[in-house]
Amino acid sequence: MRMMLAVAALLALMPLGLPPYAMTLLTEALIMGLFAMSLDLMVGYARLISFGHAAAYGLGAYTCGNILLHTDIPLPFAVLLSGLFSGVIAIGVAWVCTLATGVSFSMLTLAFGQLLYAVAFKWTSVTGASDGLAGIPRRPGPFGTTVFDTKNGFYYLTMACLFGGFLFARGLVRSPFGAVLRGIRENEAKTLSLGYNTRFYKIAVVAISYMFGGLAGALYAAFAGFANTELLFWLLSGQALIMVIVGGTGTLVGPILGAAFFLLVQQQLSSYTDSWALFFGVIFILFVLFAPEGILGLATRRRASVGTH
Amino acid sequence: MSLLELNGLTKRYGGILAVDQVTMSVEQGEVRAVIGPNGAGKTSLFHLITGVVKATEGTVMFDGQNITGVAAFGRCQMGLSRTFQLTSLFPEMSARDNTKLAAQARDKQRWRPFGGGAVFAEAARRGDAALERLGLTHVAERPAGLLSHGDQRLLEVAMALAQQPRVLLMDEPTQGLSVEETAQAVDVLAGLFGDGSLTVLLVEHDMEVVFRLARKITVLHRGAVIADGDPETVKADPAVQSAYLGGYA
Repeated sequence: MRMMLAVAALLALMPLGLPPYAMTLLTEALIMGLFAMSLDLMVGYARLISFGHAAAYGLGAYTCGNILLHTDIPLPFAVLLSGLFSGVIAIGVAWVCTLATGVSFSMLTLAFGQLLYAVAFKWTSVTGASDGLAGIPRRPGPFGTTVFDTKNGFYYLTMACLFGGFLFARGLVRSPFGAVLRGIRENEAKTLSLGYNTRFYKIAVVAISYMFGGLAGALYAAFAGFANTELLFWLLSGQALIMVIVGGTGTLVGPILGAAFFLLVQQQLSSYTDSWALFFGVIFILFVLFAPEGILGLATRRRASVGTH
Repeated sequence: MSLLELNGLTKRYGGILAVDQVTMSVEQGEVRAVIGPNGAGKTSLFHLITGVVKATEGTVMFDGQNITGVAAFGRCQMGLSRTFQLTSLFPEMSARDNTKLAAQARDKQRWRPFGGGAVFAEAARRGDAALERLGLTHVAERPAGLLSHGDQRLLEVAMALAQQPRVLLMDEPTQGLSVEETAQAVDVLAGLFGDGSLTVLLVEHDMEVVFRLARKITVLHRGAVIADGDPETVKADPAVQSAYLGGYA
């Protein structure tokens, strides 16, 4: 808890010291962190591997874009509503996907993501098809405030969403509900035979995961001012999985670090070469082979070994 | 009225009759074993009782209620706890957390998505009591996957007991244990069943185990009941002799 307050204070002070372009990158990193953390709820705690998490992101982004373009709802409410909407849609998605388990479950999540991607190309009136939604405004309010319209104000809104999401997720995984998720992760048949309706728990965690994934997507739409089909593409789903694994699955904090690391490496490498993804692929493979517990695992392992000597 | 009653229970897989018109009952406080040679339909019958597979015909009555259509997890919620033929645990959790999660399943707030200190405290209390009854307190903090095979089997029983079941269903409790481990496990189980506080239905093919633990025996042969009664009667039954025991007694 003390550690978290320190990190929050440090992040809150960032706008004082960092130049604007760095703040842009940091804001994006927090958004991606929230997105990766939301995926970790499924992957790390219930071993539900989703290859289609971009669906949550895109749903949130398009929903938020439409709310901000066509209504006067203030930005913070638009963002929260979009997250809730993604979560509600996810109940139906999860109901279908949890008919299967293991690889079949993953394939169904991928199929649903690609289905949305295809729909986004055709449903011009809502998604703008291949042009996407452009010029998404940041509506003022509540109470007429325009603070979230500024670069730093938006950064603080993003920070609040990330910390709110983190506290919610941490409470969830430490609760009785979270204990059942760990049971499902280790031995679903046994969890079922103990009298837990495991499908209910899986649907619930997918919905919560999509809710925060959608929240991240909604923030991105308002942050970038546009939403396009790339936000629904499977490439983003894959990148999110990489962030989770590189950061450390089943830790919540790890994937946030993984997202920041990914964006930083992408930003640095892409100024040298177009094939930066190739180099990140090598980094990913090294992590899987030599540090399967991820960045967070490396950090705590180092601290533990220092502590014992 | 019996606590658990099977009436004409039948399971057909295509043309194969796995369980054929089985009618039997388990009284409150009874320890009953279902025995039979390999392929007699013991495991199929067990699946019908736990709700893992659906009956083709017949009914399962529990405490006067027809539960034939109730799903497996629902039956468990009603008080039917089971152990598996092949040990099924949460290998990376400590033995203590295994029994805690089992006990939590009986809590009305088992799905509570925040807080839950009281839920965990109550689950730990029940779980620890179950570990103690099985003599596993000294390995409580060890990951379940690292326990000896015998202790793993007992841990599974502890998990079922932590749920304070009304009927304990056991699928071959000594399956895969060495001779010494079997003897130890049977001692522990005999002590557990001795006071008549538990109602147990166990499926087992090891005769020594059955005659030490069970006070009532149902014999299955080719899916059908061929004998039912106390161990002495069953042993002496000529049909059982020819079908199964092969001169054992």
